[in-house]
Amino acid sequence: MFALDAAAHTGVWRSRHPAEKALLSLGLLACAVILPPWPGAALSGAAAVVLLVGPARVAPAVVLRAARVPLLFVATSTVPLLVTMPAPARVTLDPAGPALAAQTAGRSVAALACLLLFSATTPLSDVLPRLHRLGVPPAVSEVAALTYRMLFLLMESARAVRAAQAARLGFRTWRAAYRSVAGQAGAVFVRAFDRARRLEEGLALRGYTGSLAVQVEALPVSPPFVAATVGLLAAIVAATVLVAPTW
Amino acid sequence: MHIAEGYLPPVQAAAWFAVSAPFVVHGSRALVRQVRQDPETKLLLGAAGAFTFVLSALKIPSVTGSCSHPTGTGLGAVLFRPPVMSVLGGIVLLFQAVLLAHGGLSTLGANIFSMAIIGPWVAYGVYLLVRRAGGGLGVAVFAAAALGDLATYCVTSAQLALAFPDPSTGFAGALAKFGGIFAVTQIPLAVSEGLLSVLVIRLLTRTSGDDLRRLGVFRAAEVRA
Repeated sequence: MFALDAAAHTGVWRSRHPAEKALLSLGLLACAVILPPWPGAALSGAAAVVLLVGPARVAPAVVLRAARVPLLFVATSTVPLLVTMPAPARVTLDPAGPALAAQTAGRSVAALACLLLFSATTPLSDVLPRLHRLGVPPAVSEVAALTYRMLFLLMESARAVRAAQAARLGFRTWRAAYRSVAGQAGAVFVRAFDRARRLEEGLALRGYTGSLAVQVEALPVSPPFVAATVGLLAAIVAATVLVAPTW
Repeated sequence: MHIAEGYLPPVQAAAWFAVSAPFVVHGSRALVRQVRQDPETKLLLGAAGAFTFVLSALKIPSVTGSCSHPTGTGLGAVLFRPPVMSVLGGIVLLFQAVLLAHGGLSTLGANIFSMAIIGPWVAYGVYLLVRRAGGGLGVAVFAAAALGDLATYCVTSAQLALAFPDPSTGFAGALAKFGGIFAVTQIPLAVSEGLLSVLVIRLLTRTSGDDLRRLGVFRAAEVRA
């Protein structure tokens, strides 16, 4: 299982309605992206981090591990913002570069914290059956739900095949490593289509008519949670307008 | 190469959603039509989506010495066709953003455009061109996967250059800067993905001939079932 999805399934906010968590985390994400980096994005990011490790009780190690790859992208793609190219093959430091780089990296890190707040508190299995209420065609949301269900089985298959190949020195040379990775992809393809065929047969035997609708657990929406969220978002917008009135 | 959450300015992020939307809507309509005609297709598409996700999570050895992940768009486009890939790619990118924090929700439009639209269309176009020019299956798949990956990387660099033009030389200078810095990893990765895709297709023609025929990927004579 993916660490963020596992945290969402086992977290203290598991029984909250996904719309509440979406309003909070995506509202903060919108503030982080739309408002000026200082203080809008900084406040949104700080609020997301406090909520993640505070009330949502997500382990900091899970958050840090999930943030590693996107932070590497932010670090790498911030380097070109520090320099300018006045002529081909000539690179000099841009005096305005550090400010732009800090603003961009700050906005991205803050937005990442908001995304992690959503990911680590809201299981996708709660979101996908409700997507049709947002106008997504049922066929598309059902394909997404099937993809989600098969993911774990296939990831586990790929992991098992990789472990078996590694135990047989399958990654000793470059040639062997490529052959082994191709073997993993082939095994996953065969398993995926075999699984689809078995599902198809099972559904046909149960009188499948084309609808894969599942029962969605009815979760109450908490008015105090929604009110607190709206209050927090309004406070962030108000603080930004006060500190950066020219925005 | 996913653009991280919040990295693009809000106007640019919204513009890329608008640019990607017609392709995703077209792909969704094609998918809905296909599912209406043959409800069982839904299960195959779910399997195809999961396969694409896992393919993009496999670790392949990179020339730079470390491990990288393929985009999977080239092989996906050859197997499942570009219109379907725009929807499946969109679903996979959404899952990668929410389950792994790779990419993001605000940058989903930009990432869909580079990885689920341009990458698959370039890959499929190259595949058809090479096949019609008399090229072998291996050559066509290698060219499709490698150039599909390269196209994705070029579009991502262009998206970043549009968002952050160079103060002296504008878009062109910024494209050279972003393209140059990502070329170190992306060009070797494109070659690696091409090689891997050839090995996967060779394996599949031996082990999953019926599935490839069902997908309409190859002519019956090409599959040694």
